[in-house]
Amino acid sequence: MGTQRLPRRCTGLFAALVLVGALLVTAVAEPASADTARRASSICEAQELKALAAEDPHLVIEIPEEFDKAFPTLEACRSHEAAWDPAAEGPLQPIPFSHKHHAGDWKIDCQYCHSGTDRSRAAGVPSVEVCMGCHEQFGPEYDTLEGIQILKQYWAEQKSIPWVQIHRMPEHVKFQHQAHVRAGFECQTCHGPVESLDKLYLVPDTKWWQYGLPTQKLEMGWCVLCHRDNGASQDCLTCHY
Amino acid sequence: MPETSRRDFLKLATASAGAVAASGCYDHVEKLIPYVVQPEEITPGIPVVYASTCQECPVACGVHVKTREGRPIKVEGNPEHPINQGRLCARAQASVGRTYHPDRYQGPMRRGESGALEKVSWEDAIATIRDAIQAAPGRTHVLGGNTGDTLSALVDRIVSATGAGGRTIYEPFSNQTLREASRKVFGVASEPIFDVSGADLVIDFGSEMLESGISPVEHQRVWAAARDLAAHADGGARLVYIGPRLSLTASSSDEWLPAIPGSEGLVAAAIARVAIENGAGGGAHRGLLSGALASASVDAAATASGLEAEQITRLGKAVAHAKSAVALPPGVAVSSRRAIAATSAVLLLNDVAGSVGGAVRIPPADDAAHNRASYRDVLALGKAMDAGEVDVLLVHDSNPVYSLPKASGFQAALAKVKLVVSFASIADETSEQAHLVLPDHAPLESWGDAAPRNGIRGLVQPTLRPLYDTRALGDSLLDVARALGDTIASQLPSGSFRGLVEAAWAGAGLRRSLKKGGSFAASAQASVGAANAAGLELAAPKFTGSGDFTLVAFPHSMLGDGSGAALPILQEIPDPVTSIAWDSWAEVSLATAEKLDVETGDLLAIETSAGKIEVPAYIRGGIRDDVVAVPIGQGHTVGRFASKAGQGLPGTARGVNVGDALPGHVDESGAQAWLTEKATVTATGRHRRLPVAQPQDNKRERQLGEVITLAQFLEDEPAAAQAGHGEPAAAAHGGGHEAPAADAHGGGHDKPHEIREPYDPADDSANQQLEDEFLMEKAIKASEYRWGMTVDIDKCTGCSACIAACYVENNIPVIGEDESRRARQMAWIRIDRFPGEGDRKELIPGRALVGPNHEKLGDSDVRNAPMFCQQCGAAPCEPVCPVFATYHNEDGLNAMIYNRCIGTRYCANNCPYKVRRYNYFDNQITKWHTPMELGLNPDVTVRGQGVMEKCTFCIQRIQYARQESKNAGEERIEDGAVQTACQQTCPSGAITFGNLRDDESVVSKTADDPKRGYHALHVLNTRPSVTYLAKVVRGPVEG
Repeated sequence: MGTQRLPRRCTGLFAALVLVGALLVTAVAEPASADTARRASSICEAQELKALAAEDPHLVIEIPEEFDKAFPTLEACRSHEAAWDPAAEGPLQPIPFSHKHHAGDWKIDCQYCHSGTDRSRAAGVPSVEVCMGCHEQFGPEYDTLEGIQILKQYWAEQKSIPWVQIHRMPEHVKFQHQAHVRAGFECQTCHGPVESLDKLYLVPDTKWWQYGLPTQKLEMGWCVLCHRDNGASQDCLTCHY
Repeated sequence: MPETSRRDFLKLATASAGAVAASGCYDHVEKLIPYVVQPEEITPGIPVVYASTCQECPVACGVHVKTREGRPIKVEGNPEHPINQGRLCARAQASVGRTYHPDRYQGPMRRGESGALEKVSWEDAIATIRDAIQAAPGRTHVLGGNTGDTLSALVDRIVSATGAGGRTIYEPFSNQTLREASRKVFGVASEPIFDVSGADLVIDFGSEMLESGISPVEHQRVWAAARDLAAHADGGARLVYIGPRLSLTASSSDEWLPAIPGSEGLVAAAIARVAIENGAGGGAHRGLLSGALASASVDAAATASGLEAEQITRLGKAVAHAKSAVALPPGVAVSSRRAIAATSAVLLLNDVAGSVGGAVRIPPADDAAHNRASYRDVLALGKAMDAGEVDVLLVHDSNPVYSLPKASGFQAALAKVKLVVSFASIADETSEQAHLVLPDHAPLESWGDAAPRNGIRGLVQPTLRPLYDTRALGDSLLDVARALGDTIASQLPSGSFRGLVEAAWAGAGLRRSLKKGGSFAASAQASVGAANAAGLELAAPKFTGSGDFTLVAFPHSMLGDGSGAALPILQEIPDPVTSIAWDSWAEVSLATAEKLDVETGDLLAIETSAGKIEVPAYIRGGIRDDVVAVPIGQGHTVGRFASKAGQGLPGTARGVNVGDALPGHVDESGAQAWLTEKATVTATGRHRRLPVAQPQDNKRERQLGEVITLAQFLEDEPAAAQAGHGEPAAAAHGGGHEAPAADAHGGGHDKPHEIREPYDPADDSANQQLEDEFLMEKAIKASEYRWGMTVDIDKCTGCSACIAACYVENNIPVIGEDESRRARQMAWIRIDRFPGEGDRKELIPGRALVGPNHEKLGDSDVRNAPMFCQQCGAAPCEPVCPVFATYHNEDGLNAMIYNRCIGTRYCANNCPYKVRRYNYFDNQITKWHTPMELGLNPDVTVRGQGVMEKCTFCIQRIQYARQESKNAGEERIEDGAVQTACQQTCPSGAITFGNLRDDESVVSKTADDPKRGYHALHVLNTRPSVTYLAKVVRGPVEG
């Protein structure tokens, strides 16, 4: 795993440098001429250049035909990059999966993937098959994204993806997803603005008791305050048995 | 382990506590491992249930196997199955443990040079068998126990195709005698079906119908229904038990006649004679008096049995006058070498009573594997092995090295077999002597079927993928046969064993059968002619030896023929009669104990013509003075739980194998005769402390196991006095849920509340104070639930199926022999057993821990009082908890919050019912041997060290039902939607559970029984949610 990750990080760093460089160049070198035309070396870079060119009509860009594709989109490229940013909040996942891209940009319903949420206590992590259900249908240009390659490798090897858990209930709690979803609560109430996050982390939330004491997300006090506010059961046996 | 990066470290080191929490503190990284392909039927968190068939004994009850995320975690009865109708016994409940047994073979093994088993590939193992078979054609033998029909047919085909020497089916407890007697009396060699549901008189000649008999779960159910007091104003069916010891069945009988073992046939014949003379069958059977019953006489029977002539005559008259009388034949414990005659006499008695064709049905003879089992055949096989005629022995579903008596010589002859192959899944005595082990799947991993009874076929389907590199027995045998060459392979079915099962069920509709658990039709009846028992040889049985005692070897209630010994739950649950776990014992009477000068636990040497065994004594009143009784089933030398290997003593037997003292005689039918020995019993002077769960049976006149007489029950007025002593009736409580003023749980019930001294209903100040101080008082009053339970001890037989169900459902750890001896069992239910009222005398100072036994010979007044958390309305445990780990919840439950508990044990000290259990040790780590943890119920916390635990009415099931009912849009949980594990399995239906605030609920109606209902120890004013219904003493049978 470690040996694999290093080159990926390097490419990420390299791409970021290129990006920053490009911004600097566009900011400083104005007006541009044909001999300073900027040439894309990947689909994602092409998407970035196209976006820059749209902003700046003086920018000369050169996009080879092989990189001139509609997909993956600029948003996809950026999400892919951001989900694998080691500096960003949250743990690195085995795949740079972006909730923002899926749930935000494409507006895929949470329950399309986390399908047990409304009928089971467990939300359920989508099987690799669910990922492949969509991604198998996409063209080969998608495979330029490293995350997709990793996904397809898991699928080819028929192995599970070892996601790192973000929202971990403390021990000895029997949480019921269905009870909360069916009561009409948005997923975001507990999970934060997932649809706007590329790299997922436990978005902090602090509630204040009437005594002025804080309680953090997923702590018992945090649950109880919400239960209290909404008239839900505060019996210990509701969650602890 | 995840690495902590420098960045993370700096974050943790520099940031304030709040900032750390805000930035996400991933101190414990857990991975979420999804499915690669999620099976369509599985949603994580939602159980999937498969219908299958129990394979613990030949009764083959239908089961529903509950799985979570692909792992079976609980077995429950299949309500559609006609035999058990949703109920199960303790053995079936514990059977899920076979899948996760730590002693399972994980792949094929070969015995190496050193004598230890080592791994081998399937190919090599099968080639070894092939070579051995080819080297000596016709000298291969298949020995096995009861298998399903499809498998049995396949084994037959393979045996004939390969030209093997033969096949022997062997079950330690077979129905051979019964079949042979049926052939003799009715001309049909089949196992009669005894249906006591419509009977008003049942006479059990030692079949142990409620315990280890012909079909215990079914018999418990129909027996309880036949004497259900709601349906039978006269008390319903009477049960008479004839046998030498106060067994579990005898404890539930209305009359116990402690006959000399072996005299059952004479007694049955004498009863039949009296019945005919008193007009049974309207004179149709008069011919028998000069025929089969010519030699039967009351006086001779009385002399041979040690009973009073009056008792036999009275029973005969009762049979003549009964609308429907059913007699059950002698069981294993009293099967002598003349068992056929005795069994025939009992069948004849049924005919005389006019029950044959009605309550007793004779199905057509069939050829199912369990009907072909023969002890005589296995002895012949042993002889052939001894003579060197068998080169290859294939052993499946059977443990002959353990279960055959040493005197049979089988064990010694096994050494002469060149290649012994075992197909055992869990290591046992036979597989430990095998040269090759080709492990079969665990029962829950297997395909198969069973045809326990005419018309009833059960289907066995796997509920998880095999955990290990095991192979179905059918497939292993097919592989061996196919390896023998194309000629043989062409005579065999192609494909796998699974394909054969599916093909066998194609006619019945495979998919439908998988859903239902089999195909169930009414049993056909054979046309039965006039009973013919011309050759009935009625005589006392032959005994070997010259001792003063008759050695009675009886089936262990939990372990059966010994096959249950590997399951830790069955070892840990105390025997329902003696409350001994993890060991063998020898029951002797008080007089015998005095004569030998022994106390309970003193080792007795029991010597017969076949050998000598040393067993700790258990002294009781409920056994004949001339009998010493030892349970069958212990004495294993292999297995972590079955032997003492798990206690660091590998090879040491747990208890004794009573087979070591039996010569293993054959009766006329070819079955094993267990009752053949006279024994001398001497004290050895040594002592072993027995793990006795209930050290004394003195009820001390407390309100624990209450009785009222039938007359009191039938009176219009509330019962004035209890049977046995002159105190006010048991019924004086009125149900704690009834009166709002007097009850912290009130609301919705306004019936008068009545509790006897020292509580004065007029003085309500104590309650008022309690209510005022009660933090959750308002919530409790507002709640629409108060969960409650009733336990009908008139129906409870003490069979302990509830305990096993509770163990499996609630992840209760099995703590083993040493801790059991220290009375640290973790069971949430125990069944207290009280013979009679007891007395207020103190225990004799200096006497052994086991107190004086209050049983009396011939007295069947035994009260089984299941005891578990009473969910008290004014619980003594709650106010003493310093951390609010236990408190009263608004639904009337006495909650126990494990993660809040700090282990002061104040609550347990203050609990008058002693139902709280404390985790002295890290049971969750030390007692769940890999892979046993895979069978844990994920809905129930596994309690850690230093935590108190107890019954909370299966709160996980309540919460599940609550959510289900919310999902369905119901206003509240429907009555019956929550079934506690104990209630669900109770074979006699003694337990009801539900909402006491709902006047229409079953539990409210059942609890509202002014005559029988009582609260345990109600003088303490704990106001429990559990109402016991007193046992009704119906008295001896009238002539």
